Amino acid sequence: MSNTVINVENVNKSYGSLKAVSNLSFSVERGTCFGMLGPNGAGKTTMSKMLYGNVLRDSPERSTISVLGYDPLYNELEIKSLAGIVPQEDNLDLELSVEQNLFIYARFYGLKKKEISKRIDELLEFMELTEKKKSRIRDLSGGMKRRLIIARALINQPRLLILDEPTTGLDPQVRNLIWDKLRRLLREGVTIILTTHYMEEAFQLCDRLIIMNLGEKVMEGRPTLLVKENIEPYVLEIFNQEKPIDKGDIHDTVRVEGTESRYLLYSKSLDALKEIASRYDPGDVFIRQSNLEDLFLMTTGRELNE
Amino acid sequence: MSNHDREELHKFPLRISRVETRVPSLASRIFSVWYRHYRVYTKNLISNGFPPFLEPLIFLAAIGLGLGHYVGFIEGTPYVLFLATGIIVPPAMFTAAFECSFGTFIRLEFDKVYDGMISASINVRDLFIGEILFAGTKSLFFSSAVLFVISLFGLVTSPMAILSPLVGFLTGLMFGSLSLFTTSFVNNINHFNFYFTGLLTPMFFFSGIVFPLDNLPGIVQKVAYIFPLTHSAILVRALAFNRLTWSNLLSLLYTVIFILIFATLAIFRLKKRLVK
Repeated sequence: MSNTVINVENVNKSYGSLKAVSNLSFSVERGTCFGMLGPNGAGKTTMSKMLYGNVLRDSPERSTISVLGYDPLYNELEIKSLAGIVPQEDNLDLELSVEQNLFIYARFYGLKKKEISKRIDELLEFMELTEKKKSRIRDLSGGMKRRLIIARALINQPRLLILDEPTTGLDPQVRNLIWDKLRRLLREGVTIILTTHYMEEAFQLCDRLIIMNLGEKVMEGRPTLLVKENIEPYVLEIFNQEKPIDKGDIHDTVRVEGTESRYLLYSKSLDALKEIASRYDPGDVFIRQSNLEDLFLMTTGRELNE
Repeated sequence: MSNHDREELHKFPLRISRVETRVPSLASRIFSVWYRHYRVYTKNLISNGFPPFLEPLIFLAAIGLGLGHYVGFIEGTPYVLFLATGIIVPPAMFTAAFECSFGTFIRLEFDKVYDGMISASINVRDLFIGEILFAGTKSLFFSSAVLFVISLFGLVTSPMAILSPLVGFLTGLMFGSLSLFTTSFVNNINHFNFYFTGLLTPMFFFSGIVFPLDNLPGIVQKVAYIFPLTHSAILVRALAFNRLTWSNLLSLLYTVIFILIFATLAIFRLKKRLVK
């Protein structure tokens, strides 16, 4: 039996001279979380919208997108009836209450009145919004709106959840709550596609991920392995330096990246970094393990893409 | 992928209550859009539901009673009666036009409501057919309100007038479609001023609502017959005065073709704007 929920091969999308997505391929197994990471403008949103037919890919005859066995160019409704979509921007009906928003959305899926009200209660409880059932959208905080949009995306019992930056701009409490809920859905067998530029989010949730830059895939794999295999394991951070640090004093095996008054020294050898750190004020240095963000910045560059 | 494989993929594992999900029928999809607009509109029942009754009162009092005193008779009909039957359709035009211009633009660009809607099991065509039908429904309601008010004043002379809100409905479909088509070109909400002042206001005056078209200069008369509202006025008077003739079928035909053309064009253009 096939377990591949999504299969994307050689997909391109251009807007005029701008290449938003360039020759992208990946596949996603059922019940896993797949992440698309990248700075703004990397093509993450464009790619996720192509999955449900809200953006149309270029030259369909030379590329493939299969989502739950359907091609979004021809069967967008089938895909959308089986998937839940959490867009980047909040787009709730501001005039209506929490409950009415969910009710009306359920009608878009053709759900029956009787089953809707039960489901609304369950989903509000799941997203911890039960007390807000009668509230107007204007009276909700940013985190509540986000949770409501996730609840809304679950109204049709999706087998696939496509989330575009679900926790951008939220406080750590809400973010952790949302991650918990998404993990619960994953355990239940829902497949999740997540676009984000929060490395922590990707690290917490994704079984596999791709790092994208300027529409291209630059790296693919499991988050922990990607870090292990592609970047030095240790980092020394040096702060508050007015003068550039003297690279002559540093062994060649240590890679130095510098930004304004802050330096990051990467190395395989913890001892080498400790030795360098000892030359500075202890309050200005910090040694840690390298993480996905280090890898991300290494592969996508430190300069702004915008 | 085999059907069996596909079914396996579609099985839903979450333990909260199960719902059947399959693509809803076209009618159900269109109705769900209509229903969304209906719920939002009726959310403010007093502020949305009262003015349609007040407007014809003001109009009749100001123009009918005041101007009617000087005008006397038109085509053998007392002016107040002539005017009263005419004003069944302009509110239908204006409400549909507002709904599908400013309303649509706000949903499209500011509130991003459509992005949410087409992420559910609905496509752009369903979305705008539902929207045009809702515009028609609002127009039906506005025309009925006028009919109600003028009947209170004893200005309804034929039982056929009971059908005139249907002309309001068709008027709403025409101006809903036309306004969506206009919206598809608009990038700045202020540009709608041109549409309203440049097209709809002249249409209100030169469609045979306030005065008959017969004595207008030939060229103006010809232009007036291109206006959709002219045909609404013809149909509504034919019903109100029970003077239906075969020639009214031409106006009905015009109305239907107008709706089909502009709805198709509007959906085609708005699709490009929503699905890129």
